[in-house]
This record gives sequence, structure tokens and C-alpha cells, in this order.
Amino acid sequence: MNSLISRYRAWLLVPCLALTSLSLAGCWDRTEVNDLALVTAAGIDRAGENAVELTVQVFVPRAGGGSQLGQPGSAAGDERSVVRSAKGKTIAEAMAKLQERFPRRIFWGHAEVFIIGEKVARTGIREYVDFFLRFSQPREHADIFVCKGEAKKVLELIPPLERHQAEVLRELSESKVSLHVTLKDLAEMLVGDAGDAALPYLTTLPPPVGKGQQHTIAYIAGTAVFRDDRMIGTLNQQKTRGLMWLRDEIKFSVVTLSPEEADGFISFYLLRSRTKWLPRIEGDRWSMTVEITTEDDVVENTTSLDLLDPEVTRALEAELEREIVRRIELTLKQVQQEMKVDIVGFAEIFHRRYPREWRKVQDRWDEKFPEVEVRVEVDAKILRPGVSGSMITRPKDERRNR
Amino acid sequence: MPYNGKITPVQMAFLLHPTIVATALLLVPAMTERHAGRDMWLSPLWALMAGFATLLTAWALHKRFPDDTPIEYSERLVGKTAGKIIGVLFIFFYWHGSGSLLREYGEFVSGTFLMETPTEVIMGGMLIIAAYAVRGGIEVLGRCAQIMVPVVVVLFMTLILLVSRNLDPYKLLPMLEFGILPSLKGSIVPQSWFSEIIAAAFLLPSLTDRSKGLRWGVITLLFVAVILSLTNLTVLMLFGELAGRLVYPVMSAARYIEIADFLEHLEAIVMAIWVFGTFIKIVVFYFLLVQCTARVIGLSDWRPIVLPVGLLILISGIWTAPNLQQLVHALGTSIVFELLLIQLGIPLLLLAVALIRGKKGAPATAK
Repeated sequence: MNSLISRYRAWLLVPCLALTSLSLAGCWDRTEVNDLALVTAAGIDRAGENAVELTVQVFVPRAGGGSQLGQPGSAAGDERSVVRSAKGKTIAEAMAKLQERFPRRIFWGHAEVFIIGEKVARTGIREYVDFFLRFSQPREHADIFVCKGEAKKVLELIPPLERHQAEVLRELSESKVSLHVTLKDLAEMLVGDAGDAALPYLTTLPPPVGKGQQHTIAYIAGTAVFRDDRMIGTLNQQKTRGLMWLRDEIKFSVVTLSPEEADGFISFYLLRSRTKWLPRIEGDRWSMTVEITTEDDVVENTTSLDLLDPEVTRALEAELEREIVRRIELTLKQVQQEMKVDIVGFAEIFHRRYPREWRKVQDRWDEKFPEVEVRVEVDAKILRPGVSGSMITRPKDERRNR
Repeated sequence: MPYNGKITPVQMAFLLHPTIVATALLLVPAMTERHAGRDMWLSPLWALMAGFATLLTAWALHKRFPDDTPIEYSERLVGKTAGKIIGVLFIFFYWHGSGSLLREYGEFVSGTFLMETPTEVIMGGMLIIAAYAVRGGIEVLGRCAQIMVPVVVVLFMTLILLVSRNLDPYKLLPMLEFGILPSLKGSIVPQSWFSEIIAAAFLLPSLTDRSKGLRWGVITLLFVAVILSLTNLTVLMLFGELAGRLVYPVMSAARYIEIADFLEHLEAIVMAIWVFGTFIKIVVFYFLLVQCTARVIGLSDWRPIVLPVGLLILISGIWTAPNLQQLVHALGTSIVFELLLIQLGIPLLLLAVALIRGKKGAPATAK
């Protein structure tokens, strides 16, 4: 018997090896792509007293006319995604109900965008963040937004340029023109020292005349400010820029100013910027110096100033610095004095530098934060006047001589 | 009585490295954070001390009994009855140990990837392959490790490299905010993991070049400490205070990677690291369990008991905890004492006896 087995040992192995390949399919969790409904974005709205309405946007794979087999090409026509919603006491319950309305299994692994309706945001978002972090399918990297009105309405929009609304929002937040907050960032803000949070705030762009109400996109029009986990107000886009200067997140900015020496405007395009925070505690006086170093190019000049003149440049640098300081102080006034929420992250900065003093005030940071004296110091450098020196379109004699 | 077969010191290092690191990468970072907070990256370095203590004890005993595993020399040191009791303790320890680590593996896979597949099936699948490797003997294990571990290390480094652009070093500050104590407390759990280096005591007699055993043991420990500390640093710089609230921070870190809309959903890499690493760890524990059992009962051949022992490991894996919460709780509390007691306490005791009685093993006889 034994010799028989050993003689045919190699042959016995072959079916065994073949059998093992069966398990590669994943046993009980075997799923085929065409059995899945890929969620690209989800929205949360309030539905009545104690219920939430979950809206999901699901990608519709459809082979395009001449595209290769099996490749979900961009389909002709508008219906490139399906939007459906369901209500429930919790998100998980709403999701279960939503599943009843889909022939395919809802799959969250590709959900890149979560939108929270303003009404929900104003009542607190902690529990929803919990769901998305606890359930293993959604990714911590997903971008999160608050929208004006209902999230459902935003998801139903049909963007003209991108495939669906999720793609639009993703590209927008990647471009860093405004805040970019991921699920992980939000969770970190909520457990952080200050416990306050800021999320990008969406508004719907008015559709062009003659097009349907839905043929437009939602874009980031400011910042939703949260005390603890409740939304208490918004910052407009200009103040959001100020906030981003303060948080060292600014990547894109065009600053326009009207110089004192001449009529007209000069616009500067931000190349790079770096923010440093220097906290200081003297007795009971807490102060923070925010040092910003920024490098800019000129992109537009409607004045008669000769930008090739180093002295003009120096004067303009000083004005640019003042302008940036003014903008940041505008933000600070609203955030620190009116809203009194630390979305700038001063709590962490003080905590890092002065751990002992921090522990004394951490329970009443809400009161301490507005008392912090903030000094903003900007060092702006204008690197180039663009590709033309002075006002290129003006006749020679109009140029100002200095 | 070495096993039939020899491994090189480097292969031993390759076997021991995942024996400590494989499971430590999953649950331990979060468990460390709970005590150590921002200083969690220091904890593995403190815990390294426990590793050295264990390794040196094992080495000192090995010097006295170069041809014996702990099972044999404990009998020679404290007498037949007490020695057998120690042997049985080791059997139960490795039984429980392999069971709970098999369960950790099963919990991770079914908790994050294959949610509907019963954990028993996942554990069973792993066990069948492990049994196959263990039956091959120590040389097979050594070669498996030699092939798999470099792959694991490269994948792991790639992962850290890819996530590095999302890291914020400021999250490490303030360092030592509450003094040194939290990081020491946080090191207790990693300490118990480091004491798993005691597996070296069982492997040292089978080395081709025994004189290099200690050197490679030390290299293993240092490398483990570096990897664990690096892991904790990465997790901390990415998630900050959130790290302690995630069950599998390393896994979440891998999911966070996203480069150019293209390199994303890299969880599969963590999975690969995991399956390879845990495979080696399970195989080492499994092998030692089989060896201990065969030696304590006095079997002339250990191969026939490989499969039955495997079945027992599976049962132990199912029994060890009713759910993940209990498993994590046990890993953070009672298992710590179990690990340290058996892996560090008993060898220290044996060494003390050996020193007091001045006993030395018989010079290497031709066997």
C-alpha cells in the first residue's frame, strides 16, 4: 500500500494542487464585479426628528459603442450614475433599506466622497463619522464635505465636464483651492486638543440659461465651521483663504491689490508659501506669532508702474505683505473673536511647545482661545514680473518715469 | 538531541523575525498607544530589554547544554518530575500561543477582507499549509523563511515609503509630555512579544554554526525593534491621537495611500505581508509544539503527530476567545503575564538552578 502511494505520489499531487485553486476565489466572500453596485459618493440628510436619509450615487458601468469588451467605457447619454436614497434611524439601517432597492450588492470600497447636508451638520456629525470609520469598506482617505441644502440634491446633479458629481468634488478638493479634509482628518480634528473642526462647504453653481436645473455642479464656496461636532457657521471663500494661510495649507491664491502710487490693479499669483507658528506664554498672556514667507509672480498689471524697476518691486512687496496680513486678520476676527472656535489649530501648537501650561487651560480652551494675541508677519517676495516687463500695451510716453 | 536537519544562523534569524513581528504589527500599535500615547514609538525600544534578557538567558543555557532543547535540559536541571512539568507547561503554552495567533490571523482576515467567510475556514486553510511545512522538518521551515521574509520586509518598506508623503512629524510633539512612565507602561505588551525570542532556545541546537547563534539572535532583536518603532512612528505621524482608536492602524495606513489617482487600494500588500509573516510565525509555534510534545512523551518519531496536533491548534484557536474584543483584552492583560512567565520566567529559573548547582551538560557526544 505504502509503496503504491509513493509510486503515484506525484500524480496524486496534481489533483490536490488543482483543488487548492478553488479556494483562491475567496470562499463565501466570492464576489463578481458585475454583482456589485460601486458607490462613488454618499450623502447624509436629515429626515424628520430622529432619522437620517442616506443617498448613494452608484457608478453605472456600460460598455461604450466601440470600446473593448469588458471595459466600462464612458457611456453615451446622461445616465452615467444612479442616485437612490433610503431612510433609517442610523446609517447602517438606511443602508440595509437601500440594499433592497439595488439588484447588486452595495460596495463602498470606491466611495471617495461623503457629503453631509447642512441640517445634519448643525445637529452633530460624530455618529456618522463613526459609521464610516467602523464599517470596513469605506476608506479613511475619502473626502468629506458639508453642503448647503440637501446632500441628495447635490448628488443628483449632472456635471457637464466630469463623469459624475463625485469626480467633480474629488478634482476640486485635489486642486487645493480650498480646504481638503479627509475622513481621517475629520476624525483627528474631532478627537484633537481643540475638538473643533472645519469642512469645505459646497454650494450649487447656478446652471446656464436654457439648461435643466440639474445640469451644473456643486463647488466649494467656503468653509463650514464646527464647534465640537456641530456646525455653527460658515466662512466665505476669501476668509477660507485666510484660514489656509494660517494653517499652512495655501497652495493656490491670486492676490489683487491697488498700489498707492498708481491707478489700476496688480494681481499676484502665489508660487509657494510657508507658515511658521511661534507660540509664546508670558505669565497669563498667551500670544502667537504667525510668520508667513511667500513667493509670488505678477500675472496682471493694469497700472502704469514699471515692474522691472527693483524699487517698484520693493514697494509692491511691502504692499502685498500688508494686503495678506489684512486678509488673515479678517479671518481671525471672525474665527477667533466672533465664532470663538479654534479651527486654526492653535491648541495643538501651544500643546506642543508648552505642554505643562497647556494642561492648565485645556479644559477652558474655549475661553482662552479668543484671548490669544495673534501677530501676523508676512515676508513676501515678488520673483518675476511675468513674461513682460512694464505695462506692455501702453504707448511709450505714458510709462511712468521714476 | 537536535532535530533531524540543520539550519544556518541566518535562517534562524529569518525564522525568528516574523515570529515576533508578524502579529505585533497588527494589534500591538493600537494597544501601545492606549498607554504610551504620543511616545508609543519609544515603547518597542524599552521592550527590547525584555528581548535581550530572554535571548541571553537562552544563550547561557545553550552554552551549558549545547545539544539540548529546553525540554531536555529542564529535566536534567530540576529532575525528571519537575522537568516534565516544565515540559508540559511549554506544551500548553505553545498550544495556547499557536491557537491565539491563528485566531488573530483569522480575525484579521475575516474582519477586514472576507467578512462572510467563517473564521474557522480561514484558520483551517492556513493550518493545512502549516502542517505540510512542519512535516517537512526544520530545514524546510528555514528555507521557507529565507524566501518569504525578504519579500515581506521589502513590501513593508514600500508601504512606509508610499505613505510617507502623508506624514506629519509635528504629531510626535510634545515628546515625553508625562515623563517616561507612559512609554514604559506601553512597553509591557511589546515586551511579551519580544520574549517570544525564546524560540531561539529550541533552534540553537540545530544550527550549522552555533558560534554565530548569539550574533544573529541580537541582530534579529535589533531589527525587530527598528521595524516596530518605525511602524509606530509612521502610524503616529499619520493618525496622531487617532492611532489608538483604530483596531488595525497599519492596515488603515495602507488604505490611506493614494498616489496620482492610480496607486491606491493597497490593502492587498498588508494582506501579503500578513499572510507570509503569520505563516512563518504559526509554523514556528506549530513546530515547537510538535517537538515539545514528542519529546515530553518520548516519541521516537514526531511526524505522525503533526496532523493531530494541528487539529488541536485549530480547536484552541476557536476556544481562545469568543470574539475579537475578548481576544484583544486577553492579549493586553493575562496573555502578557503568560508570555513573560513562560518565556522569560522559566528560562531564568532554569538558569538560576544551573548556576547554583553548577551543572553542565555532557560534552557533545556523538548521537
